[in-house]
Amino acid sequence: LKVSTGCHSYQEFVTKLPSGLVIASLENYSPASRIGVFVKAGCRYESLENQGVTHLLRLAANLTTKGASAFRICRGVEAVGGSLGVTSSRENMMYSVDCLRDHIDTVMEYLINVTTAPEFRPWEVSDLTPRVRVDKALAAQNPQVGVIEALHEAAYKNALSNSLFCPDYMVGHVNADHMHNFIENNFTSARMALVGLGVDHRVLKQVGEQFLNIRSGVGATGSKAQYRGGEVREHNGSSLVHSAVVSEGAAVGTDEAMAFSVLQHILGAGPHIKRGSNSTSKLTQGIAKATADPFDASAFNANYSDSGLFGIYTISQSAAAGDVINAAIGQVKAAAGGVSEADLTCAKTQLKAEYLMSLESSEGLLDAMGSQALAGGTYHTPEAVLQKIDSVSATSVANAAKKFVLGKKSMASSGNLIKTPFVDEI
Amino acid sequence: MMSLAARSGAFSPYLQATSYAVAGPLKALIPAVVVKGDKVLVDTKKPFLTRESLNGQSPKSGPAVSVSINAKAGVRFAHTDVKVPDFSDYRRPELLDPNKSSQESSESRKAFSYLVTGATAVVGVYTAKTVAAQFVSSMSASADVLAMSKIEVKLSEIPEGKNMTFKWRGKPLFIRHRSAKEIAAEEAVEMAEFRDPQHDKDRVTNPKWIIVIGVCTHLGYVPIANAGDYGGYYCPCHGSHYDASGRIRKGPAPLNLEVPYYEFPDEDTVVVG
Repeated sequence: LKVSTGCHSYQEFVTKLPSGLVIASLENYSPASRIGVFVKAGCRYESLENQGVTHLLRLAANLTTKGASAFRICRGVEAVGGSLGVTSSRENMMYSVDCLRDHIDTVMEYLINVTTAPEFRPWEVSDLTPRVRVDKALAAQNPQVGVIEALHEAAYKNALSNSLFCPDYMVGHVNADHMHNFIENNFTSARMALVGLGVDHRVLKQVGEQFLNIRSGVGATGSKAQYRGGEVREHNGSSLVHSAVVSEGAAVGTDEAMAFSVLQHILGAGPHIKRGSNSTSKLTQGIAKATADPFDASAFNANYSDSGLFGIYTISQSAAAGDVINAAIGQVKAAAGGVSEADLTCAKTQLKAEYLMSLESSEGLLDAMGSQALAGGTYHTPEAVLQKIDSVSATSVANAAKKFVLGKKSMASSGNLIKTPFVDEI
Repeated sequence: MMSLAARSGAFSPYLQATSYAVAGPLKALIPAVVVKGDKVLVDTKKPFLTRESLNGQSPKSGPAVSVSINAKAGVRFAHTDVKVPDFSDYRRPELLDPNKSSQESSESRKAFSYLVTGATAVVGVYTAKTVAAQFVSSMSASADVLAMSKIEVKLSEIPEGKNMTFKWRGKPLFIRHRSAKEIAAEEAVEMAEFRDPQHDKDRVTNPKWIIVIGVCTHLGYVPIANAGDYGGYYCPCHGSHYDASGRIRKGPAPLNLEVPYYEFPDEDTVVVG
């Protein structure tokens, strides 16, 4: 496990092959390497006939492929102490392997097998049904997941309204054909990126040219997400009301998206220290004036390739839900009227810190590199991103807040909704 | 995944819903679900009661879901879908009701079980002993060899007063059909006259038949029947005289003729040996 101890240059290399495949790598001289295959094949690309196929694909990462059986994959990965996993969001799917630098060829073989040559044997696919149920039950343990899925369903007419989890009526009915067709249509070279940390760029390029050039073209183009602005309410017995109110935000990579991110941090994007009263969060300060009961609130910001969502997410006691939500919206309206320089600087610093800290772990760095490779085919250095953050002005932040206030709102709530207002009552 | 410049950070662990193929060694266990047959039981009783416990629970962006080999493990709870079969067909009647205490029936159950076990053990020991003995005794002399050690003689072929000689176990066997006069004479002799005193009654089972081994007790020659001074046998080699009961009367032989073991299975037959 020899790593050179001389002066290291941390240089990213990005190559775009003629087929459209993007290969990016960064030699970080770490003893553990990490490789990811990113595909623009998130659940937004599911059609109405194969809802839930990405959930099954996520669970099928360890099934038999043409080059290796399920047992071999599992044992091979464990034998070198690595891990093979797949993470999927609405836009992208990321298949990643990590292990010690010396064994990276072994796990790379499994990664290529899983992404390019899965067999989806019918009995193995049908064995996934109990795992789908367990997955859904695990997700249902957190009301947050349910509310966010409902929010997307309410906010969009198509594409982005698809859920990350298989709908109930499709559990047990997604079969190998659906999965093969989805792979054929979406796992094409033009929509894939091969990213590596701690690997040689030439090796990665060779692997990309040899193995990942199998399906050319763009495949089936997904439909453009259409924002509609609706409401989903789930009334149940929980004493805590989870509620999200959003309106259409900005697409990824635009200046507006950066303004929304800064606005998110002005309003409050999570505790930055372990205990305390969240004094920098405008939402928390505003809501604390409206209720004495425990609550939590955060600005919600999601950016997708052609659309986005921005708003607030609140957790409150059921009796105080209305006050909390209205107080939170009031704070956003106040921000629309103008933000002070102090707040702006504070928010920018928090955003910069959050971004840089996310790059400190290899998972975060791989994620960032892969998302950028898929989105634009390039890699923006952290310095470039920090400059972009700095260039956000107070007016753009205020305009972003205005866009939320004036835009058509979508809402999703769950809990005891006695005192929770409807979206048109806010 | 999420926006380029903002991700859900470490404070919102609830945005990653995860599921697992293989339990990993280093990652922490997260609360999981119990799978019972087709139902999945979920325990959502975790309370969020204070501002501090609620702090950071709100998500900041859309979720991403991860599945992994070697990740946080929840899968080990899922094997409770193993169905335990119904054993009612095999249970004792007094134990069928799971809500009733089994103490009352415990004595009778134990007594029965121990009795049956004890009896089986005893029978088993005897069986084992028999089997072992049979195997060991198979090494003893076989039937044909044993058969060669016996001789069966038809007594009706021996007329009165006649002595017949048979080869038995390599030695001559004398069977003499004695007349009543001879019997009376042999029984009347005084004990003091004998070198090897033995009453006739002690040498015969049925006085009519005297059965002796025809080997002279002096040096092992074969005496002649119906010869000698005493109406019995005479050994010509060294001059030993035996009477009709095979006892030595005169001559160098020290002992009476040996009487072998014999029995009369019926009136007409004798089996010697």
